[in-house]
This record gives sequence, structure tokens and C-alpha cells, in this order.
Amino acid sequence: MGDLLNGFADALTPGNLLWAFVGVTIGTAVGVLPGIGPALTVALLLPVTFRLEPAAALIMFAGIYYGGMYGGSTTSILLNTPGESASVATALEGNKMARAGRGAAALATAALGSFVAGTIGTIALSAAAPFVADIAVNFGPPEYVALMAVAFVTVSALLGPSLLKGGASLVIGATIGLVGIDTQTGQARLAFGLPSLFDGIDVVIVVVALFALGETFAHLVAGTGDSRVEPLRGAPMLSREDFRRSWPAWLRGTALGFPIGSLPAGGADVPTFLSYSLEKRLSKHRSQFGHGAIEGVAGPEAANNAAAAGVLVPLLTIGLPTSATAAVILTAFQSYGLQPGPQLFSESGELVWALIASLYIGNVLLLVLNLPLVRAWARLLTIPAYGIYAGVLVFACLGAFAAGGTIADLIVLTVLGLLGLLMRSAGVPVAPAVVGLILAPLAEQQLRRSLALSEGDWSTLVSSPLTVVLWIVVLLALLSPLLRRLIQTRKATSLKH
Amino acid sequence: MTDLEEGPVRPETPEVEHAEARASGLLGVIMVIAAVVVLVDAARLRDSDDALGPAAAPTLLGVLLGLVGGALAFQSRHFLRTPKARPAHLWRLAVLVVTLVVYALLLPLMGFVVCGTGLFTVAALLLGAPHPARVVAYGWTLAVVVFLVFDVLIGLSLPAGPWGF
Repeated sequence: MGDLLNGFADALTPGNLLWAFVGVTIGTAVGVLPGIGPALTVALLLPVTFRLEPAAALIMFAGIYYGGMYGGSTTSILLNTPGESASVATALEGNKMARAGRGAAALATAALGSFVAGTIGTIALSAAAPFVADIAVNFGPPEYVALMAVAFVTVSALLGPSLLKGGASLVIGATIGLVGIDTQTGQARLAFGLPSLFDGIDVVIVVVALFALGETFAHLVAGTGDSRVEPLRGAPMLSREDFRRSWPAWLRGTALGFPIGSLPAGGADVPTFLSYSLEKRLSKHRSQFGHGAIEGVAGPEAANNAAAAGVLVPLLTIGLPTSATAAVILTAFQSYGLQPGPQLFSESGELVWALIASLYIGNVLLLVLNLPLVRAWARLLTIPAYGIYAGVLVFACLGAFAAGGTIADLIVLTVLGLLGLLMRSAGVPVAPAVVGLILAPLAEQQLRRSLALSEGDWSTLVSSPLTVVLWIVVLLALLSPLLRRLIQTRKATSLKH
Repeated sequence: MTDLEEGPVRPETPEVEHAEARASGLLGVIMVIAAVVVLVDAARLRDSDDALGPAAAPTLLGVLLGLVGGALAFQSRHFLRTPKARPAHLWRLAVLVVTLVVYALLLPLMGFVVCGTGLFTVAALLLGAPHPARVVAYGWTLAVVVFLVFDVLIGLSLPAGPWGF
């Protein structure tokens, strides 16, 4: 608690407050743009923070993260183009509400729900993180290997339409992660003798290429159609009836979002869909679902924001990113000279608590900034598509150049952008690739470390109860599609008879 | 605006499915080719004394790439055989890719502002922007603002042309 108060003392200095404010503002402004989800927002804006001192950079970054999350929901509601699969559920009812002229109420419940869920999520994060870090201190390399295996399997299974397509994305990302000098033997892998590939391919470049260039290319090939921005009528306020229907949904969404988000498994999207179906089941206005039910916005939006705080638990305490956004955040930490993991709290405690404190502050700023300014944000949506994507391209190249600093990085960016286009057209999700890119080299490192410690004895991987449990989870997750199919065929045959 | 995001909101028409199956077949084929490259690259690595040498991870990933890519290609084998109805706007993609490469090559010579303006203009026109002159003005403004914010204000040095911006 004292640590957190110190964090607040650090974050509430006028200078840092200004950085938080700037971060929240530009995060929202970029996150509002259609097609730009939180992961891309943080990747595009990462260069803005490069030259700041670590504390200010982290504080601004926290603002960008929450601002990007919030901006994304505005776009989902008014334009029906969710920038990330986690805001798909919000778009389902939110856009219907906007079409029925209730866009202002939808935005208000999203903003208040984000605030409630973000605040509760951040409180839960402050309570859970040190606790988990204490446990994680005792993790050895075998535990890390098992945790990463869980993340691999769940990310491929949950973030895509099928295990095969999610797996394809993960393997592609992991292969990109191989590029560069092998740390143990000093040999270059997949660098083809090109010196600019010896350092590996920067995560920011991959994220920007797969998300931003992939999206821009897809627009080029498809030809941009007309977008339909729903006009905003009335002030973004909740009527008493709306509020009465919203608040239980916020709390239920938070209760689903934080715990599931904080599992070391890929699942920031899962709670939003769970929350949507839960609200649909519990609602007294079930007939309104599909036509703009406010619970259907309030619940998933709260779940999304609570999960965003939850994802920080495995990220900060174990160093395990489980979403594309978390993978970018991990890179951001590394570029500020911090290594997330159990030691983070003991070694750089001050910085971490300043970060957590600025998450609270960012939440308040967002609420203060967004409800009155919602019209201004909505106006950003009327920028024509060509302007947005041409601008995104300029920023993408800037981001790639800032991350890598060479011309070769821009060529890599273009090639990976084409790969992103192909993956997108094939219905292969790109988020698992980003997670694979970050986690695969870490998994290799931990696996080698385990085998070095055990002198080549593979049984070290299942030497503790925790690792056994985690490997069973991996097996179950891998077998679950098979089991599901088996049950379905059995049901089908029993129906025939 | 077409919704290209992953997720269950995409309308599933037979045409969309067909195009998706073809793309996933193509991706599968590319993954199989990449698998061969990765395995060949792994084979040339010197082994170390460690229990797990530098070739272990690339070998595993090469095999996985081949298996998953093969499965994707196999799934959409019927679609790969049917003649392709080429997407009409593929030339736009080609022009943009060439523009990006030219941008990369000219960046150190011409500086960020000029190259950024060029990239913005070409991309916007390809995406169907009316009024070329206005687009150049927008692009120039954006590039100048970005240059001022990043290079001058933040101190992230961007390549400057012979004219200093």
C-alpha cells in the first residue's frame, strides 16, 4: 500500500501528470481511427516515448494504452469496425444502438463501464501482482517452459477461428522470432548473411507490418467502400433506466474480465464474448438483443477493460505476454531498460508502482476527457479512409525507422506487410503471430536453461507438481477440439437413431 | 468501409469463402517453402556442446511450418486448382509496394518531409482520393508536423535531406 502511495506521489507531479494527459489524448485520438486497435496504437505511438526518461515514458505509455482501448470502443459503436477482436462484442449491440439514435447512451455506458472496470481491474492488479510475483520468484526454467507451452496452445486455440489457423499464425511468428544471432553460440540464424538481420526483427516492425500495412494493403486490394458513421444525437448521458440496466452489467463484466485476463493463457477476447452471452441470458429485455440492448454494450466493454488490466498481471510478474498488446508493452518495457518478471517489483519497484498509479490516473483522465469531448472524437471518424490509411502508412514507416533505424527495416516492413495481407485474406488471425514472436525465443532460452541445469535430462520439465498440472492443461487444450468433434458426431448419430 | 478484422462479424458469402480458401492455400504453400528454407538454414548451423543446440528450435519450427502449411494447402486444394478470378485492384498493391521500396531507398537522400509527402500522396491517390493537389498539401502538412514533433520536439533524429528537413 505504501508502495502504491509512493507511486501516486511520483505520478502526480505536474510533469508526469502532463505526460499522462498527453498519452491519454493521443492514445484516444489514434485508437479512434478505424481499423487501428489498441495493439497497433501502442506500437505506432511507442516512438513518441523513446526519448523520455523511463518514468515519464512509462506513465505516458500507460495513458496511450488505456486511451487506445477507449478510442477503439468509440469506433466500434459509431462505425462498426472493431479494431481488435476484443471489441467485436461491443460493436454487436453498440452499433445497433447508434443506428437507433442511441449512440450517445452507448458511448456513455462504454465510457463509464470502462472507468468502473478499469479502476476495479487496476485495484485488483495492485493487490494481485505483488502476490503473484512472490510466487513466481520460486519458478525455475522448467516452470517457465510449461507456462509458455500453455500460452502457446491457448493463444492459438482462442485467438483464431480454428486451432489450425491460430497455430499457423503462431508458428509464422515464432519463425520470425528465430531471425538473428543465437545468443548461446553466436551463430546467425535465418539472416542469409544480411548484417541488418543479425539483431533480429524488432517486434514493433512486425506489429506495425502485420496490423497497419496488412490493413492498408487489404483496403487497396478490396477498394475502399463507403463507411457509415452513425450521427451522434444528444449529450452522452445515461438516463436513470439506462444506468439501472448498466451497472450490474459493468460489475459482471469486470468479474469475468479480470480473472480470465490475468490467467497466463491467451484470453483477452474470451471474457468479452462470455460477458455478452451472460448478459443476453440474464437480461429481462432479451428481445432487445440484436437491436441495441444497453447491457450488451456495458458488459463486454467492462470485461474488455478489466481484462486489459488483468493481462498486466502475468506480463509484469512473470514476463509472459498473452495478447498482441501485451507483447508490444513488453517490448516497450525492454526499450526503457526494464525486464518484466518476478524481479521487476524488487528491482524497479518505484517505476512499476508509478506505472500502476498512472493507470488509475489515466482512467480518471479518460473519463474527464472523453465524455465532454466525445463529439470531437466522433468527428475524427469522418476523416476519409484514404487520409487515414495514407497517414497510417507514414506513421508506420516512421515507427519502423525509429525502431530499427535502417533502410533494411523498411524493406522488412513491406515484406511482412504483404505477409499480413495474405494472412488476413486467408482468415488467419495475426495476434498469435505477435505472441509467438515474443514468446518463442524466450521459451527456447528457458528450455535450454532447464536442460543445462539438469545436464540434458528431459524429465526435469515435469519435475514439480506445477509443471505436471500445466502440461496436463496443454494436453487438454490440444485435445479439446477432437473431443468436441467426437461428442458432436456421437450426438448426431444418436439423433439419427 | 469493408470490415477486414478477424472475428465473427464478417458476412460469410460463398465468394468470400472461396477467396479465403484460395488465400489460405497460397499461405500454406508459402509456409511449406519457408519450411524448406528454415530446415536448410538449420542444417548448416554448427552444433554446440549444449543439450539443446542452436539447430533444435529451427528444426522443430521448420517441421511445424511444413505440417501446418501442408494442412492449410491440403484443406483448400480444390480451390487452388480452380482458375483464379484475379482481384481487380492487385496492380494498386504492386504500385504501393514499389512506392514503399522507393521511399526506403530515397529516405536518406531526400529527407523525411519530402519522402513522407510522396508516400502519403501516392497511397492516398491509390486509395481513391480526389483532388491530387489537395492531397499533396495534406501530405506535406502531416510530414512537416511529424518532423517538427519527432525531430525537433522529441529529439528522435529523422533523416534530413540536403535542405535540412
